[in-house]
Amino acid sequence: MKAIMHIVEHDLRNFFRYKWWLVGLISMNLADLFIMAIVYNYMVSSAVIAQYDTYFKFFAPGLTVTGLFASAFMIGREINMERRREVHHYMLSLPMTRMELAIGRVLSGGIRGMIYMSPLLLTCFVFLGFPTVWELLVILIVLFLMALGISGLSIAIAVSTASLEKFITARGLVYYTLFFCSSVFYPLSLIQQLGAEGKFPAPLVILAEVNPLSSASDMIRSFLLPDLPAFSYTSILNVVVFSAIFILSAAFAYIKILER
Amino acid sequence: MPSIIQISNLTKKFGNIVAVDHLDLEVEDGEILGLLGPNGAGKTTTILMLATVIRPTEGTATVGGFDIRKNPEKVRELFGIVFQEPKMLWVSTPWDIVNWHAKVCGLSTEERKRRVKEVLESLDMWEHRRKNVHALSGGMRKRVELAKVLVQRPKIAIVDEPTAQIDVVGKHRVWNMLRRLRDEGSTLILATNELYEADELSDRVAIMHRGKLLVCDTPKTLKDSIVGGDIVEIQLENDASAKIVEELKNFKEVVNILQVKPCILRLYLNKVEEVVPKIMNTLVKKNVPVTSIHMSEPSLDDVFAHYTGLTIEEAQKSGE
Repeated sequence: MKAIMHIVEHDLRNFFRYKWWLVGLISMNLADLFIMAIVYNYMVSSAVIAQYDTYFKFFAPGLTVTGLFASAFMIGREINMERRREVHHYMLSLPMTRMELAIGRVLSGGIRGMIYMSPLLLTCFVFLGFPTVWELLVILIVLFLMALGISGLSIAIAVSTASLEKFITARGLVYYTLFFCSSVFYPLSLIQQLGAEGKFPAPLVILAEVNPLSSASDMIRSFLLPDLPAFSYTSILNVVVFSAIFILSAAFAYIKILER
Repeated sequence: MPSIIQISNLTKKFGNIVAVDHLDLEVEDGEILGLLGPNGAGKTTTILMLATVIRPTEGTATVGGFDIRKNPEKVRELFGIVFQEPKMLWVSTPWDIVNWHAKVCGLSTEERKRRVKEVLESLDMWEHRRKNVHALSGGMRKRVELAKVLVQRPKIAIVDEPTAQIDVVGKHRVWNMLRRLRDEGSTLILATNELYEADELSDRVAIMHRGKLLVCDTPKTLKDSIVGGDIVEIQLENDASAKIVEELKNFKEVVNILQVKPCILRLYLNKVEEVVPKIMNTLVKKNVPVTSIHMSEPSLDDVFAHYTGLTIEEAQKSGE
């Protein structure tokens, strides 16, 4: 446990070394929300966003989830850099088990995601409404679980790709697939309707339905916005499965690939 | 002395390349073992296997009684490593790097603070402790890398090229620190391609070339093992006659004589300290006046050349 905390400390310290960069990124996310969402409000069919009141209110939870995704993914970039500079030799030589090291890295990626996301989530609360204590607890637990999964996914990619170029390409593919095949930017009901009408590929509709980003965004929306259907807790299963797969992948990659 | 590390048949292959080839070696408790060889000899790969960073393809080693394959966690608790290239992210500061390392190695808060300050001061890094690593010179980064092990004081310290990029004054200071670490109870494995460094520091030297261990012994024994390794250059007042050259060849310790100039003889021999007085007596008896005499012992470079047929520079080039 102590070793895991040391790794978390190491990674959080590195995270805060880029504090002005982080401030810049969060500001950009907020600018996205306040500029893009307001403009889109006038572009999007009112029938599509009627139940959410405005596109701003629809988009704010989605943006929070994408912010969480991008920041939790940052740990992968650092681990990839460590691998290229062979700093991972040092990490692997430390007096701790590989499992402690892998768990520490996944955990710190998740915590970093939560820290980055908190101003965005707070913005949601201010403009959309505050959740109950129970709802807040559920939101935080689900988002943290998702952050751990994202962190695991990024670590698995980072240690499997030797070059920065390959890592960035893989990251781009994951970002665009998961961001655009989700309910982050447009309602899931619209994607399903387009799919039924044959205007959107069926496999991408399925991906949007099982995508943990969709589950997390819709969960926040259903807790914060009135008049939406009650949140189905079974959709949390998507997040749980996603996290379990990628936490295990990260551990496996760390133990098997780096030590080769 | 009992062995703290027993390496047996240790092999590492990267695809078709055999980086370490069936290595058998023992490291004694409390010694400084110099692992000498050119770049690409397999020194760093051996170290990484011992430290359980990479897995051997074949063979194994026991470190402090623990098998590196079966008990890697126990093995890691015994080691501290100074890597050849400093392993640190460039946004970190020396203080953070060394302090965090000490924390991970289990030093108490009080002890950690005291040792970190003491070591960074002794390495002239205290003033630079808050600078980002990217603002430090190569030598300073190497000193930070070294500080980690000096603070840790591990049971076994592995130091890979400890004085690379460090200036001459700094080198001597680092050597003294490594000796002190040994005197305080650590066993040291010193991987280097600097022959003088290996000679200065090592209790025993293991020479590696192309993944294989060629020989391992004390520097003195290794030097003495070279037949005709000692060189004596005698300058005579007059030209040396063929008769006197023959006379000198009769000494059983003399392996060869080269007449560099008519009045200068270069003798390749063994046991220089025993035979030179005898040679001088002969020359005096034969009334052959001597102007000067110069003696030199073989260096580890000669030992390396003896076993590989290459100087270390040539081996370095052929390995690149």
